[in-house]
Amino acid sequence: MNLVLIFLITIFSLSLFFYGRSKTKSISIQNNIKLNALPKFYGYYLVLWCSIPALIFLLVWSLFEPVIIKSIIIETAANQGAIFNDKNEANLIYEKIKAIHLGTFFGDIDSILKESAISYAKFLNLFTNSKIVLIFGIVIASVIYSLKKIKNNNKARDDVELILKGLLFASSLIAILTTLGIIFSLLFESIKFFSVINIFDYLFGTNWSPQRAFVSDASKITSAELEEIKDAFGFIPLIAGTSFIALIAMLVAVPIGLFSGIYMAEYASVKVRRISKPIIEILAGIPTVVYGFFAALTVGPFFRQAGESLGLTVSSESALAAGLIMGIMIIPYISSLSDDVINSVPQSLRDGSYAIGATKSETIKQVVIPAALPGIIGSVLLAVSRAIGETMIVVMAAGLAANLTINPLDSTTTITTQIVMILVGDQEFDSPKTQSAFALGLTLFIATLILNYIAQRAVKKYREKYD
Amino acid sequence: MSNIKIKSKNLNVYYGQKQALFDVNLDINEKEVTALIGPSGCGKSTFIRCINRMNDVIDICKVEGNIEIDGIEVNDKELDVVSLRERVGMVFQKPNPFPKSIYDNISYGPKIHGKGETKSELDEIVEKSLRKAALWEEVKDRLDEPGTGLSGGQQQRLCIARAISVNPEVILMDEPCSALDPIATAKIEELIDELKKTYTIVIVTHSMAQAVRVSQKTGFFHLGKVIEVGKTEKIFKNPDNKMTQDYITGRFG
Amino acid sequence: MTKEERLKKRHRSEKRFKLYGVASIFVALLFVLILVQNIFSKGSSAFMKTAINVEVFFDPELLELQNGASSDDILQADFFDITIETLLKAYPAKNLDEENELIDLFSTDAEIEIRKAFLENNNLVGKKINLEITASDDIDQLHKGNYPRDLPEDRRRISNFQLNIYDNLVESKKIVKNFNNYFFKNGDSRNPELAGIGGALVGSFYSILICLLLSFPVAVLASIYLEEFAPKNKITDFIEININNLAAVPSIVYGLLALQILLATIQLPRSTPLVAGITLALMTLPRIIIPCRASLKAVPPSIREGALAVGASKFQSVFHHVVPLALPGTLSGTIIGLAQALGETAPLILIGMVAFVVDIPSTPIDPSSSLPVQVYLWSESAERGFVEKTSATIMMLLSFLIVMNFIAVYLRQKFEKRWN
Repeated sequence: MNLVLIFLITIFSLSLFFYGRSKTKSISIQNNIKLNALPKFYGYYLVLWCSIPALIFLLVWSLFEPVIIKSIIIETAANQGAIFNDKNEANLIYEKIKAIHLGTFFGDIDSILKESAISYAKFLNLFTNSKIVLIFGIVIASVIYSLKKIKNNNKARDDVELILKGLLFASSLIAILTTLGIIFSLLFESIKFFSVINIFDYLFGTNWSPQRAFVSDASKITSAELEEIKDAFGFIPLIAGTSFIALIAMLVAVPIGLFSGIYMAEYASVKVRRISKPIIEILAGIPTVVYGFFAALTVGPFFRQAGESLGLTVSSESALAAGLIMGIMIIPYISSLSDDVINSVPQSLRDGSYAIGATKSETIKQVVIPAALPGIIGSVLLAVSRAIGETMIVVMAAGLAANLTINPLDSTTTITTQIVMILVGDQEFDSPKTQSAFALGLTLFIATLILNYIAQRAVKKYREKYD
Repeated sequence: MSNIKIKSKNLNVYYGQKQALFDVNLDINEKEVTALIGPSGCGKSTFIRCINRMNDVIDICKVEGNIEIDGIEVNDKELDVVSLRERVGMVFQKPNPFPKSIYDNISYGPKIHGKGETKSELDEIVEKSLRKAALWEEVKDRLDEPGTGLSGGQQQRLCIARAISVNPEVILMDEPCSALDPIATAKIEELIDELKKTYTIVIVTHSMAQAVRVSQKTGFFHLGKVIEVGKTEKIFKNPDNKMTQDYITGRFG
Repeated sequence: MTKEERLKKRHRSEKRFKLYGVASIFVALLFVLILVQNIFSKGSSAFMKTAINVEVFFDPELLELQNGASSDDILQADFFDITIETLLKAYPAKNLDEENELIDLFSTDAEIEIRKAFLENNNLVGKKINLEITASDDIDQLHKGNYPRDLPEDRRRISNFQLNIYDNLVESKKIVKNFNNYFFKNGDSRNPELAGIGGALVGSFYSILICLLLSFPVAVLASIYLEEFAPKNKITDFIEININNLAAVPSIVYGLLALQILLATIQLPRSTPLVAGITLALMTLPRIIIPCRASLKAVPPSIREGALAVGASKFQSVFHHVVPLALPGTLSGTIIGLAQALGETAPLILIGMVAFVVDIPSTPIDPSSSLPVQVYLWSESAERGFVEKTSATIMMLLSFLIVMNFIAVYLRQKFEKRWN
């Protein structure tokens, strides 16, 4: 239905374009007046007026229609005597009613459901009809308005450009809307979570075991249950595990990435650079799930075997394997950023150093690197933020149990792993366990935000210095 | 007549396909200021960059022919550039102090060459170099402030002090005053006059007045060739070559 | 220390430093090589499947069909008995256990394959034909040499009896390797020999298409606004900060956003390419805007001034002159953004694309998987056959990414003007 409506609106708008164009032409010839804009702009003007209000209306309507119908239906079903205790059961009944309406429900249909299905059909019909009527009303009203404007030979180009400028501005606002959406969706559930679990128990608790936090009824948690789950959401083991794996990753990535970046910027011939730089950047383009697969099926077992032959017990999901592979993933981020940063150090500084008789490595170590330091630190911080937000490698190759450990051969877990584990499979929405995933998401979001902010500031300051 | 310090014989330099210097033969006397003049792109800078092999830094640059310092061939592949540059310092067109403290800017050279083993030795070198560069009085109280915070003229004197710090025999100056105001320029020129007692100085300049003021010997370059070399007085008062005459009287360039 | 010793030491340290650089690059390159080699050696065998040549006799007594039966009848008919009969003829089995072991050598889809052969030629009643029936995963892996046969019997998935049959079949040249059409055609399956990436391919295609349709126009319009029209004020600054930060937000956070807003609030259908596409579009948007703005910025101001000087409006100068010149850079940035989106896994897991979906989605609102999620799902499976399928899926995924990146680089090098 919506597609048909969009199609009709499009066709109508297009025909209006040609109408508007020829109409204004003929007006200008008949009355021998000079138009304020090219005829085609009058065409655009009509198109915009005809389509945009109607399309916006259609979008808003489509967003709200299901929600409104649902609440109406659930209410009428309740009035007719349907019994449901919470939102989930109400949802279930609503889905049943919808299925009956579509004829895809195979099960016992009692009279209440049947009645509701009929009224569902009725409402659906009513909503669709009123939608069509309203849209045509809007189209006609806006077309009449715009035709009148055209007759008066308005400055169509300015108006068209104003509308387009609004469209451009609206597009760039999507970035703000996305940020707001993220903050809203994380905060919404996190606030619920922190109304049950004390924020200090979360931030400073040393025990993370959300699977223990089973509650019979999420809407009224008994005090006994609360006592039970109170210390199941301690964040410390997760941040410890996350930082530990990120640390291993940085120990791999910083030296290799930095030295590759230095070599690329200072030593490599054009030919070597042209070949090896894209190959290293392949590492950044490989999907992380591929690294995860490699870490879990090749590197993990290899470490375990190697450990066994040395008499060590290595968990097959060791922090070392996950950290190592994550480090390799991060190499190109550090190498290409530090390559850029080093390249933007002015040549005059190098010349100054060479001219007193410094060797290349002395110049790099004592002049180039100190000059590029803020930029390099920025790139390392960006890499750290990537490491703590990385999900697939740790989900597949690090463990699930929240151990507080500093043994790299042990398994450990991370924030992102826990988010995935909690939200995969059957979710009881509204349980503290599910909400805790959003609290973790919020923590992660804030942490990466701070890191990125500092890093971008550092890089920007550095750029300004040498521009 | 003073000794010849640097001697170039049939020096040719190419940037890729383009030839920048053609058979340059030029002698530079010890403890004297030699000025190189000529229109932009005539090869003056290229020539002095051959003396301390700074052209090695540019990939596409190829040098043929000979340059000798005290009879030792500079273009010899076996020769260590590092120790060559220790003997031949350089000051650039734009002041380029390192983004470090004033002290570290000066002590960097002695440190890498192992000239100041102890802190007191280094302190001494820093003070001596800054004094020679006539900067000591201005900065002695803020040696740990960044060198980039100084004014343009001070920065350039800092770079001269940096070059002096490793106690070279020759100092090359590539238009050292082109980025400075007249007052700072006057100070640098004064300094050059003082320095020539100890060092052999080669200076590239665009300003003929400056060449007259600071140098004893002048070479005129045009399109990669040396047109005329001689005592500064002679070049500016009574040049042999018509082109030199035209250039110094401002008819072209 | 003499001067010569000192110099020597300095030159040694110079060499050492350079060596570190070479070694680092070498390590990184080596890793790319190991990874690719590992994936290829594990995955290339998945493009072939093992089949067993058997003789099928369409016994009129076991089959309640006449020659020339309609397709509907054939689809309704029971081919089970004929299948069992056929499989048992492959090797003499002495008792029920042995018979079961023999049947286990074949894929569970044997019946469907026999039915299909009958469908293609429906006057086979009473006739005998030779048919290549897909082998079970265990035989498949054994035949490809991925499964060790020198383990003791109790630690092996294949019994001695089955090994005997296998050797016998190999000797009589009954075992063949065919192109694995199931791998491209089928959806997911619990049986590795039947599992395919058909569903995941379609799911990924729809997701990326939706992502492209949503993110590209918005990104281009937003970049044009920010680069050409935006006044220098607080709102513009705020938008810019937002875009830079969004580009660095971990992808899993977008999964949480989609879960809360798209699924819980506006109740779009779970596990579908529609939701995946919207999520990926939100994530890709800032990653496209940044290169788009860079390529707009690279167009020199003289072009704009030239257009304005002949009396074009600001809009005309931007849309007629600046945007076309910036287009190659914009497109290549978009393709690279889409390539990243194609490999993205974490947010899709959260919106339920990990559901076990056998059917190939026909519309973007059918439940579906996607290529990277399929990799994740299969890598969690215990069966050995899935290792090769996972690696092969990765090979497909990587080849798509390589093609996309190649196009992006080509566009940039071929069409982008250099301004000097």
